[in-house]
Amino acid sequence: VNIVEMIVQLVKGSLILLGELALIFVVVMVVLEFLQEYKVLDKITAIASPITNIIGIPREANLPLLTGMGLGISYGAGIIINTAREGKLSVKDIYLVNMFLVICHGLIEDTLVWSALGAKIIPVQIGRLILAVLLCYICSRYFDKIAHHDKTGKPVISKDIFPGG
Amino acid sequence: LIKKLFIWLVQGEKIMGVVLIKGCQKGMQITWELGVKVVLPIYIIVTLLNYTPIISLLSGYLTPLMQLVGLPGEAALPVALAALVNVYAGIGAMLPLGLDSRELTIVGAMVLMAHELPVEAAVSKKTGSNVISLVCIRLLLAIILAVIINLSI
Repeated sequence: VNIVEMIVQLVKGSLILLGELALIFVVVMVVLEFLQEYKVLDKITAIASPITNIIGIPREANLPLLTGMGLGISYGAGIIINTAREGKLSVKDIYLVNMFLVICHGLIEDTLVWSALGAKIIPVQIGRLILAVLLCYICSRYFDKIAHHDKTGKPVISKDIFPGG
Repeated sequence: LIKKLFIWLVQGEKIMGVVLIKGCQKGMQITWELGVKVVLPIYIIVTLLNYTPIISLLSGYLTPLMQLVGLPGEAALPVALAALVNVYAGIGAMLPLGLDSRELTIVGAMVLMAHELPVEAAVSKKTGSNVISLVCIRLLLAIILAVIINLSI
């Protein structure tokens, strides 16, 4: 392999990748800021929260969940970091959102691309969604069961539950 | 009325400007934290790995697994590439194989469930969650979903 060619390709690929990421992140965050300014997200997360409550994900975590589901895991994670910095999410919330997202994310792009390739991808995406909801539900129940309870009976989940976390 | 409209426009423009700048700042911050610190190093490592025989070795190991889910052995390469690099690398390796719609769907199920694992694991890690369990869940569910799809279509 030609080393120079390899390095040139690597640098080119890296720059394109970073440019794409920066563009997407900036656009997504600007759009999200506008949606937040005009309280659109509050309405969307309010509609989704009865559903996500069942699988143990609080309303504050709906924003990263929905973004990641639609756009992709990096965008979801970016917003998790952002929301976590505001101190609104517990260790369990973050883990559940991550688990949901690793199973089921980037639905918009993936569905479009794979349908175009000729795969029957809609049943696959529905399968991913069902698996994510199921697993989240089970794990949420399990975490609550093994958690300590404080005086008010609220479950307190320590970081030890997640080995190697 | 014109005066009111003017004030509303100026204030609106101010809010728009603030929101725009705030969004750009947050976007660049996330680009730095995820893009530069996480995605880029792994992209470089995996790109370099592509020049070594590791990926073709791995797809050799995966051949029996492919037969389990009703795919030809060569389909291991796109699945392995997608798992290590990204969905598009997998698609690139899949297209020359000439798979039919049924096989495409099964490969799609595996690829969509388990792709870009190093990058996405690093991203999840950045949020503070245990990554090994998440990757295991994905690999396991990739096989389960592929078996289900194989049996149902």
